[in-house]
Amino acid sequence: MAKFNILLHEMVPEHILVPVEEEGKLLEELGISKNQLPKIRKSDPVIKALEKISGDIEPGRIVKIVRKSRTSGIATIYRMVIGE
Amino acid sequence: MILAWKDTVKKIKEIIEKAPVCYCVDYDIPAEEGVSEALLTISGKTFVARANISKIEEYSKGSECLKKRKDGLKTCIKIESIEEIQDDVVNYEEFTGGSIEKIESYAFIIHKEEAKIELKESFEEKLEKEVKEIIKKAENKGVPLPVKIAQKISDAKKKYGIGDKDLDKLIDATIEKYKETTVDPYEAVGIVGAQSIGEPGTQMTMRTFHFAGIAEMDVTLGLPRLIEIVDARKTPSTPSMTIYLNEKVKENEDKAISLARSIESTNLLDISDIEVNTTESFIRIFLDKQKLEERGLKKEEVIAKLRKMRMQKATIQEEGYELKITLEEPSFKKLYQLYEALKVYQIKGLDGIKRAIVKFDQKAKEWVIYTQGSNLAGVMELKDVDFTRTRTNDIIEISQVLGVEAARMAIIEESISTLQNAGLNTDIRHLMLVADMMTFDGNVEAIGRHGISGKKASVLARAAFEITSKHLLNAGLIGEVDKLNGVAENIIVGQPITLGTGAIKLMYKRGD
Repeated sequence: MAKFNILLHEMVPEHILVPVEEEGKLLEELGISKNQLPKIRKSDPVIKALEKISGDIEPGRIVKIVRKSRTSGIATIYRMVIGE
Repeated sequence: MILAWKDTVKKIKEIIEKAPVCYCVDYDIPAEEGVSEALLTISGKTFVARANISKIEEYSKGSECLKKRKDGLKTCIKIESIEEIQDDVVNYEEFTGGSIEKIESYAFIIHKEEAKIELKESFEEKLEKEVKEIIKKAENKGVPLPVKIAQKISDAKKKYGIGDKDLDKLIDATIEKYKETTVDPYEAVGIVGAQSIGEPGTQMTMRTFHFAGIAEMDVTLGLPRLIEIVDARKTPSTPSMTIYLNEKVKENEDKAISLARSIESTNLLDISDIEVNTTESFIRIFLDKQKLEERGLKKEEVIAKLRKMRMQKATIQEEGYELKITLEEPSFKKLYQLYEALKVYQIKGLDGIKRAIVKFDQKAKEWVIYTQGSNLAGVMELKDVDFTRTRTNDIIEISQVLGVEAARMAIIEESISTLQNAGLNTDIRHLMLVADMMTFDGNVEAIGRHGISGKKASVLARAAFEITSKHLLNAGLIGEVDKLNGVAENIIVGQPITLGTGAIKLMYKRGD
């Protein structure tokens, strides 16, 4: 809870919650299992901010992150939410 | 408006048992109108109970109350009901508008205004139509063309007026080139990255320079800074922030200077001389008029702040610019404790900001504040600050306030600028790999044995890295199995490593 919305900061890329139904297809496309994804903590400030919009996010959900990249313009990666 | 006060576990339990009750405290709480809610805290940083109060009035001897202490009672608070809650003090701020970090005795507070949390506009939707079409065409041929390249094609199309058939040829040629330059699977990117960063490292100086273009400010540069970044140190040796101002005030020099003054942290020791008199058990504070003026402080403000400080029973007398604090119970130990507390007591400014300097940026035509010391959360909340652009060089702080992705970007930017400052040009991809590995698990972890390297699954790899005997001994005691999946362990036993050619296992296809 703060006076500012950290999602607007220029260093924070877009974080979008992936709907549960699409997770299976996504993992198949990438050819990996869920545990092999990079992780993001549930106590991460951005996850806390997202929880205000979409309600509680349980560990195991996947977050799609769209970053601005100097090498390719836009880069998309996925992170799995882990506990605490 | 909410009243908040600090109390003991025992008393709070008693209030909960006996509510509704009239509770008498030894603070002088002015009877404010419109206060109907009270929050109680034990530690000063989290609230443990919430009470509905109906009235605050002065203590009268005859009243039947639950007493906080045996004597010295000053105010009576009528509590109607009380319930246990869990809340943090940082979610509130003082009624007069200051942020509050800890409740010492009592305070009037209100909920902080919460900003509305909404997502930024998506980048993908902002792309031009042509660019999207080009990407789609490439995808149809099975290649995920990066946005930057598609943008270049679209720009070239506009500049040279390329027709549709030629555009297809152009896209095909681009795709061929792109396929040639992508990294092959199982390429040893880790070791190539390590060498690409290590080699320029040998050309950097080990001395820390004290300059950095912004006169008077120390910034760590060169190899020590790179080591700090990669070791994920909790605080860098020269933390500093760059603060940008809001649209409306960014061209206003006076506003910038006053903001800079207001965030510089001022201790009592910075503006006065403190003297302890042990024989008569009092402390004298000699306020320095000139220093007060320099920092834009008034004597009354200092005294008000001092009164709020939690002190063991003591009285403050003022005589001009001299303050005398006398303890009611003379005691050496308490006197010295008070003296130590007073020396570091913060009168003004944000915790952690040692100095703030204002400079005019010629290119962007705005005033920018550079600070020595870092307090990202505190600064971002200030009214005139453009919080979307404010940055700091303390990476751990960024990960705590802005999240792990922002920390990753900070690692890349800090390390590339350290290298570029020393005149070295490394491809940013190697640093991106390092940053990705450091933030893989959701926190910023060091590369060394306290972080990533210490977590490897293989015993032999860890033993070969550092502290050999400990790892081998523990592994032997527990009976660990080393699956020989990584590079170091395969080299030790003499097998082909699982990178490059060795990553492929061949199978024999029989005739039938």
